[in-house]
Amino acid sequence: MENTSLAHHLILAGLLFVLGLTGVLMRRNLLVVYMCLELMLAAATLALVAFSRFNRTMDGAVLVFFVITVAAAEVAVGLALIVALFRKRGTVQSDALTTLRD
Amino acid sequence: MIPFLADIDPVFKVLAPRPADWLSILPEIAVAGLSLVCLLQAMFLPKALRSLIPITARVGLVLVAIMALTNGPWVQPTDVASFAGLLRQNLPTDGVRMVFLLSALLTSFLAEGFLRERDAAVADYHHVLLVVTAAFMLLVQSNHFVTFFLSLETAAVGLYVLVGYLRRSEASLEAGVKYLVAGGLSSALLLMGIVLVYGALGAVPGVTDSLNFTQIGKTLAAQSVTHTISPLTLTGIALILGGVAFKLGAFPFHTWIPDVYQGAPTPTTAFLGTASKAAGAFTLVLLATGPFAPIAVKLAPLLAVTAVLTLLAGNLGALATTDLKRTLSLSGVSHAGFILAAVTAALVLPGVTAFGYDVEQVIVIYFLAYVIGTFLAAQALVSLPAVEDHRRPQLALRGLLRRSPLLASSLGFGIGSLAGVPPSVGFIAKLLVLTLLVSAKLWWILGAALIGVAISIHYYFSILREAVVRPTDADEELAPLEIPFGTRFLIGALTAASIIGGLFVLFGR
Repeated sequence: MENTSLAHHLILAGLLFVLGLTGVLMRRNLLVVYMCLELMLAAATLALVAFSRFNRTMDGAVLVFFVITVAAAEVAVGLALIVALFRKRGTVQSDALTTLRD
Repeated sequence: MIPFLADIDPVFKVLAPRPADWLSILPEIAVAGLSLVCLLQAMFLPKALRSLIPITARVGLVLVAIMALTNGPWVQPTDVASFAGLLRQNLPTDGVRMVFLLSALLTSFLAEGFLRERDAAVADYHHVLLVVTAAFMLLVQSNHFVTFFLSLETAAVGLYVLVGYLRRSEASLEAGVKYLVAGGLSSALLLMGIVLVYGALGAVPGVTDSLNFTQIGKTLAAQSVTHTISPLTLTGIALILGGVAFKLGAFPFHTWIPDVYQGAPTPTTAFLGTASKAAGAFTLVLLATGPFAPIAVKLAPLLAVTAVLTLLAGNLGALATTDLKRTLSLSGVSHAGFILAAVTAALVLPGVTAFGYDVEQVIVIYFLAYVIGTFLAAQALVSLPAVEDHRRPQLALRGLLRRSPLLASSLGFGIGSLAGVPPSVGFIAKLLVLTLLVSAKLWWILGAALIGVAISIHYYFSILREAVVRPTDADEELAPLEIPFGTRFLIGALTAASIIGGLFVLFGR
């Protein structure tokens, strides 16, 4: 902790966030897209903990627990939907999602 | 509340909820309790009595609505914070609650028959629906980013379930997954925004809780005087507003709407289009006139451009589609443009009114009109199975007037209310927004809104032409439709509400 500053944490969080965002926009496999979404949430959590530590307020650290809970609920519902879709279609590639169109 | 904690730490004496705090959210607690009652009934009632579940939910919702309309400790006449500043009732609370309660009630009416026909569980649907409703009702009262994020996410996760509810339908699952990815992305952006605002403002001396809306507002006001708002804060605010714009379906975050609305079960589509959109709109008002009010000068041009683009994107998009549900979903985008226009008017000219209504009341009226119109139209759609047939949806309405004059008139009144044709409350709502724009002298947005209305008349009435005028010879398209008594009553009540509501808004005060 002595050798790291707030900027170090924020740069790491920013990198993770951009990595996740790029993955969501570029990847075609729904499971990978979903992992990238979770990566974005993890990046936000990391920044939250860093701010909480360096600003010396506990609110951010407490919010982290709520974010983890929310992410878990989202994963439960999300994976259920993706599995149901896989059973129906036999693929999780987003290119194959073409039922809905004009 | 918890005495032994108060002994350990004196802070708890100040922060612990008072009895008055719990009373102020009694309607929300009641709706959440009702959702559990639905689940318990599904567990313990014998099969023959299962049809009681949706009835319990509806009776409960009506009782909560009556409670929310009567004056009690849950309606604060002035701006009162509860739960140590986590919640605050500063919008016209009773009206906002009514939008969500009415939307949930009408969704329940649509859902019962729809789900039975498709052999899907009715009780679970009601459970999730009520949880989402309670979450929306809390969301619009939040005064702290923790309550804000949590209630928004509770609603979002519940909506993922409702969109992908028909497990055997490819369209429903595909819509669910698309909504999940788009919704997850917006939540992540929103959370990052909250974190940046928390971090940047938390470093300012004297700020004890940089997630609290009141403190954020005060800090931003002080910083905007000295021009020291950091780029980090502005990035955070932009990300938060982006997340909210996504929920509202504003340009350029509206691209997910047609797919998700088309694939979702029609009752869910109606709920998404009304309650979820209303939540986005009220949240935008809450943020733009609350914590972010000090930078309204910066926000107003941004919102104005978004409003114009949303109006055009929604209306032109609706003009180009042939699928019924897609057309209605894109017309919903243009309605979001109207809401954005009203919010812009509030930012440009604080305290602007139309016919004695302030902006928050105008938005409540707009959404009540929109709820009535959407559900009248949706009632006709759920009665026609061919609407879900994605290969030839445009044929679904053929001969509707011959098959069931009642449904045709329901569709007609619904579409008329959405388009803003004079006797309906939809016309009054549009008139109020246009008056706001004139008062605030926002001529560009007024022009875009009027062009939008003109375009919308064309696509709305081409839907009606399909149902009423288009000749048909096929036997299946002429078979009379059986309409249950409950549906007849509902259509009559909504039509009456559409006309009386409009007169009441104009002459009621």
